[in-house]
Amino acid sequence: MRLTLKITLAVLLGIALIFSIYSYLSIQREREQLKKNLSREARQLGESLRVMVTEIWQQRGEKEAIGFLSRANKIHSKIMVRWVWIEKDAPEKYKPRVPLDQLDDLLNEETVALLAGSKQGHDFLLTYLPLLIDGNRIGAIELTESMDEMHDYVKESLRRSAIVVGTMVVSSLLFVGVLGSFWINRPMRRLRDQAERIGTGDFSAGLNLSGSDELADLANTIDRMRSQLAEARKAEQAANLEKFEALEELRHTERLATLGKLSAGMAHELGTPLNVISGRAKLIGSARLSAADVCRSAKIIGEQVDRMTAIMRQLLSFARRGEARKQRVELNALLQGVLPLLEPSAREQQVELLQGEVGPPLPVNADPGQLQQVLLNLALNGIQAMPDGGRIELCCAAVADVKPPETVSLNPAGWCCLQVRDQGNGIVAEHLKHIFDPFFTTKDVGQGTGLGLSIAYGIIEEHGGWIDVDSTPGQGSCFTVYLPLADSGEIT
Amino acid sequence: MKAACPETHPHILLAEDDSDLRELLDFALTQAGFLVSCCDNGLQLLEMLEQNSTYDLVVSDLRMPALTGLEVLESQYDNRQRPPFICMTAFGDQQTHDMARRFGVAATIDKPFDLDEMIKLVQTTCRRQPNHDLPVRNCP
Repeated sequence: MRLTLKITLAVLLGIALIFSIYSYLSIQREREQLKKNLSREARQLGESLRVMVTEIWQQRGEKEAIGFLSRANKIHSKIMVRWVWIEKDAPEKYKPRVPLDQLDDLLNEETVALLAGSKQGHDFLLTYLPLLIDGNRIGAIELTESMDEMHDYVKESLRRSAIVVGTMVVSSLLFVGVLGSFWINRPMRRLRDQAERIGTGDFSAGLNLSGSDELADLANTIDRMRSQLAEARKAEQAANLEKFEALEELRHTERLATLGKLSAGMAHELGTPLNVISGRAKLIGSARLSAADVCRSAKIIGEQVDRMTAIMRQLLSFARRGEARKQRVELNALLQGVLPLLEPSAREQQVELLQGEVGPPLPVNADPGQLQQVLLNLALNGIQAMPDGGRIELCCAAVADVKPPETVSLNPAGWCCLQVRDQGNGIVAEHLKHIFDPFFTTKDVGQGTGLGLSIAYGIIEEHGGWIDVDSTPGQGSCFTVYLPLADSGEIT
Repeated sequence: MKAACPETHPHILLAEDDSDLRELLDFALTQAGFLVSCCDNGLQLLEMLEQNSTYDLVVSDLRMPALTGLEVLESQYDNRQRPPFICMTAFGDQQTHDMARRFGVAATIDKPFDLDEMIKLVQTTCRRQPNHDLPVRNCP
């Protein structure tokens, strides 16, 4: 509306200015014309009177002539006629209304017409017609005509002009207001709404502005832009989905690789109970056992089956591809759950698996399966880094004073960490900066994908955290996974 | 569990960290007429071997705490007096099999194994020993 108003006001101002100038010039012209007419009338009357006064003056003398003029004055109500002497010492009664210096032309026997104002503010048209008396004295017939009538006429003209301008302004405002609302405001509002919708990411509705004006053009352009944006977003979404699926697939593959590593240890673990079961079964079958031994063997078989079931369950719980869903996870509990999976692999490598001191609960919002994978990955790497045995320690704790890297935008109430510390070979400085790069591996061909740490890093990044590594070649490495602590009351 | 007649019954040293399997093998071998001594880690096995050289056979798990079976084997490699070793390994671990053979193991057997097969293997290995007759099932 503001734009319409501005344009309207600008146009109206222009029109009003032009009309005012035109009115002013017209009125001036009329005024001049009126003045001319008045002057002509006065002059004609004066000429007639002059002839008569000259004649009377010559035939009957001065007194009669001036008396004639006094009588003539009474006849003309609009024009006042009187006799004046163009002399300095003329009696007050016969002095002209204007100073003598303005009447110099009378001395040349020329008629003088001029405008003069009274002290009361009235304007008068004065016409002087000279008359040579006795060959040396100059007198004049003074005709005084009030200009009030002309002023009234001009005033009326001005009033009319003002009314016309005012009416024009008001009606134009209304007219342009209605038309502006119809032609400009409404489409502008629709354009604005559409732009806002696009701004918020809603590309669903098109915009059809009828007509072929600039606004319709703009609407078409916006609509084309909307379609292009919608297509771009669709493509981006498809690409994202593809990327997400690929990442999921990759993570699953890595999970299976981890599972493979774990399975080797688990298979070893299964061998012993299977052995015990088959042996006990055989003993029972040989019928050489006492009743008490049979009972004992059966009990042992049951225990071994439980042991195997537990191993299988651990493996399956890790292998099952769960829906990636964040939930409240307690890190101490997560750590406890991972240890049995790692034990066989650790034992196989003569690695002592230690758990740090269990502290207060550390709740985080996380996908437990993914965190488990990260932890397993770091721990298995640690175990593999100790071919001659050693000690690996897993712990978790709240961190009071930690400065997140610039890439981490979260600002949670607090941070906590999961730590995996080994006594392995360590990582040399030049490898350290690449360890989270995809496909970077120092293991032999076929031993590692080079994706484990990269995937672990991606998972932790998705959880709003980061992984720090501290390593001394020959002494061991310490991987620290930082995660934002969940608010105590938060339920997801 | 010890058999009463060391002269006629081959003496077997059994090293296994899993108590259930150890107990089973102890029981079965004793039933089969062997004299059985047990230990549950590699270090103990090594100590027992050094203290007593009269064992006729060592049946050892390879993966054990303290010292692995392979490490014990390796340390005994140059000992001419050492008894033959039967090693129990995890199923499919060919690499360990090969390494054990290199260290001069008498036989390897994959876990899980058949108990009769194990006893048979123990008997066969003992029979190859010049000093002993076939073990008998019952001690007179």
